Amino acid sequence: MSRSKWLLPIGVVLLLVSCGEELKKELPVLGPYKVVDEVVDGVFVTDTMFTTIRPFSFTDQDGNEITHATVDGKVYVTDFFFTSCPTICPKMKQQMLRVYDAYEDEPQLVLLSHSIDPIRDSVGRLKEYADKLGITSDRWHMVTGDRDSIYSMAKHYMIAAQVDELAPGGYAHSGAFLLIDRNKQIRGIYDGTSEDEVDALMDDIQWLLNE
Amino acid sequence: MSKSLGSLLLIVLLFAACDYKPRNQGRVLYERNCQSCHMESGQGLGRLLPPVANADYVVENRAELACIIRHGISGPIEVNGVAYEGEMEGNLQLTDVEINNLVHYILVDLNDQKEHYVIGEVREQLVKCSQGGK
Repeated sequence: MSRSKWLLPIGVVLLLVSCGEELKKELPVLGPYKVVDEVVDGVFVTDTMFTTIRPFSFTDQDGNEITHATVDGKVYVTDFFFTSCPTICPKMKQQMLRVYDAYEDEPQLVLLSHSIDPIRDSVGRLKEYADKLGITSDRWHMVTGDRDSIYSMAKHYMIAAQVDELAPGGYAHSGAFLLIDRNKQIRGIYDGTSEDEVDALMDDIQWLLNE
Repeated sequence: MSKSLGSLLLIVLLFAACDYKPRNQGRVLYERNCQSCHMESGQGLGRLLPPVANADYVVENRAELACIIRHGISGPIEVNGVAYEGEMEGNLQLTDVEINNLVHYILVDLNDQKEHYVIGEVREQLVKCSQGGK
């Protein structure tokens, strides 16, 4: 009895102590991986190989070709949206704009927004949208491209996006922001409509930039 | 014991009832129907989406607000000196009373208007746009 009486307070103290520590700041690599057995210098080792983001090629609001080479060696944040989206996109763009403003002088960070509505979102329309949002293509690329490539890229980033006639605006998609590191590995997934989660994203961006 | 529980329940209910002011319903309706585009404080987004807080257009078009909310609006408008294009869809799901409370919230809380908005005013406006067709 006397022992169990102490268990709860001790547990609470332990919890508080453990929460008080700066536990964060080891950002895991996310996504599919392979376990590989190989022989290195005559020693048999087992290694975990994470998938890296595969090559892509799209066109941004200024007609620039944006490829995997554009983000080589850089940290980038990516999402999927469309300009006539009546639901979560304005919120996503408001939050992405916070990231854009916070990293005004950081050439190592790139923002990459894909339109999932390539039929309506021409280069010209993306340009108009970007201008009205007040952003430039040197740090924030809004890209369009071949429909199937865009959708297969979304899937590759593990982001849900699909044509859905019943959804407002004609497309259903996730509001996620993905954080990709310099090695093209996914390091974080955030709700792009939530201010708190985007705060966390900005912490993690800083951590990756310093990595 | 049951008496104290009962009074506790009563207090909780009273607080819940206090929260049900028209203005609070207006805020909830704003969050559900308007916030995703006009943003949480009504500030809008760049030159893409117009503000509804501290917005000259809102104050000057007080008599049109109910119809705009119900039937939407399209085409160029100017708010605080900035031109906006695009289209806002209507909100046919909202009742007259809900539109009243929403407009009240937008005018009083987001635009600091002192003059209250009353249900009679809203009904009159809504009758106009249901007949003429907007």
